[in-house]
Amino acid sequence: MKRLLLGAAIFATCTSSALAANIGASVAWFDDNFLTTMRNAMQAKADEMGHEIQFLDAQGDIGRQLSQVQSLAAQGVDAIIINPVDTAATQMMTKVAVENGIPLVYVNRQPEGNDLEQKDVAFVGSDQKLSGKLQMEELAKQLGGKGNVAIMLGELSSGATHKRTEGVKEVAAKYPDIKIIEEQPADYQRTKAINLMNNWIVGGQEIDAIAANNDEMALGALIAMQQSGIPADSILVGGIDATRDALEAMQRGELDVTVFQDAQGQGGGAVKTAIDMIEGKPVDKTNMVPFQLVTKDNLDDFLN
Amino acid sequence: MAIATNNDTQQMAATKPRKKKLPTEVSILAVLIGIALLFEIVGWIVRGDSFLMNPQRLLIMILQMSIIGIIAIGVTQVIITGGIDLSSGSVLALTAMVTASLAQSSDYVRAVYPALTDLPWIIPLAVGLLVGALAGVINGSLIAFAMIPPFIATLGMMVSARGLARAYTDGQPVSMLTQEFTWIGSGANPVIIFLGVAVIFHIALKYTRYGKYTYAIGANPQAARVSGINVRRHLVMVYAIAGLLAGLAGVVASARAGTGQAGMGLMYELDAIAAAVIGGTSLAGGVGRVTGTVIGALILGVMLSGFTFLGVDAYYQDIVKGAIIVAAVIVDQYRQRKRKLT
Repeated sequence: MKRLLLGAAIFATCTSSALAANIGASVAWFDDNFLTTMRNAMQAKADEMGHEIQFLDAQGDIGRQLSQVQSLAAQGVDAIIINPVDTAATQMMTKVAVENGIPLVYVNRQPEGNDLEQKDVAFVGSDQKLSGKLQMEELAKQLGGKGNVAIMLGELSSGATHKRTEGVKEVAAKYPDIKIIEEQPADYQRTKAINLMNNWIVGGQEIDAIAANNDEMALGALIAMQQSGIPADSILVGGIDATRDALEAMQRGELDVTVFQDAQGQGGGAVKTAIDMIEGKPVDKTNMVPFQLVTKDNLDDFLN
Repeated sequence: MAIATNNDTQQMAATKPRKKKLPTEVSILAVLIGIALLFEIVGWIVRGDSFLMNPQRLLIMILQMSIIGIIAIGVTQVIITGGIDLSSGSVLALTAMVTASLAQSSDYVRAVYPALTDLPWIIPLAVGLLVGALAGVINGSLIAFAMIPPFIATLGMMVSARGLARAYTDGQPVSMLTQEFTWIGSGANPVIIFLGVAVIFHIALKYTRYGKYTYAIGANPQAARVSGINVRRHLVMVYAIAGLLAGLAGVVASARAGTGQAGMGLMYELDAIAAAVIGGTSLAGGVGRVTGTVIGALILGVMLSGFTFLGVDAYYQDIVKGAIIVAAVIVDQYRQRKRKLT
């Protein structure tokens, strides 16, 4: 009994230890590679600053995410970080946080409404359209301004899919000799991209470049090409995210273009912003973390 | 023994000598050919090119369904016993993670187990099959001994196995696998594995005691028990085989993609169930065949290639796919009913 009480006392002091803030975070998908890197960066930043952070997986469901935000608010966390499932459906979650007076940071995906005009609501992330533009600009340059481009789309329900594709198309439209000949989804997944690319290859159309909405699909396209005996240098392949696997593929001379989305910068930045808001320091409403184009020329900067 | 396999055409033919009954597969095969021809015709109109006269495309249609097909063969057996397995996609992800972590190349500095790189391919394969079978044994034991409905038991496994797959490396992908291992998933190998598994279980279901028991339990568990079948032990075995095949699918999937990721195999269980049901397996139990499931999987593969070939707008693909799944089953049932009436 004594030991139990002692344990309870220790537990109580631990949980209420002074100054350590409690942050609750709801992430759109635990299964997404980029979001996982970002989540780990958030955890690392919180650890480094000596605060607690709790992660919840919204599993791509807006309803689930709203419930999670409501329970975080009821639980009385000091700040909430949301990586929204749907950038057009954030108003309700913003309302919950504002009504409870809890600072709120959106990370990676920017709300499309007027959420950021509310008190104590901020955004840390990157402009997704820019990543598509950077990708297509480099592909166009390597194509010499001429060729057939096929776009591999991510999940159609994701805002990033539309923004990235929009960026790709905007740039492609500037080149009269570049034609978008195919546009099909592979849901950001490598296995689905292998199947899609296989079907494109037997379709017999000449494809000069693949613009994939993320690296996993670009890698899938490369695997399909390899298995069909198509040399990696005969079709340009571009991805987005600069994941570890993608950088390794670029080092092997297979992947031609990727765009580095700064998971550390976004995740760490979101935690930093949340802490600043808890401590009452002034913060920027919108914090844009820049994208960076990665080709074999600057690959070494990203590989370490 | 009074137990007959429900679909045994030979027995049917023996009892009704006036007219040889067509097996269910023929009508499903007709649906497959019908859909393929539809794409062929529309293909000529839209693209001015043949859909079917391309051996490479025909291979791809099977190749892209091989992994789901392997799962579907296990799921078919589970459904024949009157059960269901919702966990196969998650078990695939878990095995893919574990398998990949034991198949990493020593060139990679960030290996999960730096001391266990460059292992011969048989080790990750064996461990993968073991993990899958273990998940299946847990499913089967929950159903047979704890009397939990199959839907709930395998739903629990579906959620837990996915969680385990994520926890295994904190969600990080496991990549840079040895060439020896990725060979398993390269070229037409997944097709060979799929068809090999299909042949084995076609024979097992049709000609062995294992198959007779499986049908008997699905048709009438009480009667099966009374006639001396150890129903519980047999159920555990069927779920273990389904788990083993989900594990095999995980091995092939990770070898094919050259990576293990916790998000792999999402919703594969539903495609597998769809393949089985399109192929004539009855969710009521007691009825179903591996050949039907293989054709069911091919129907899904033909649709996937067909839509890409025609360049159908991505938004409409799933709408049409869902409709075709239901239509295929309606056509099949209609034909069966008509046959019964005449």
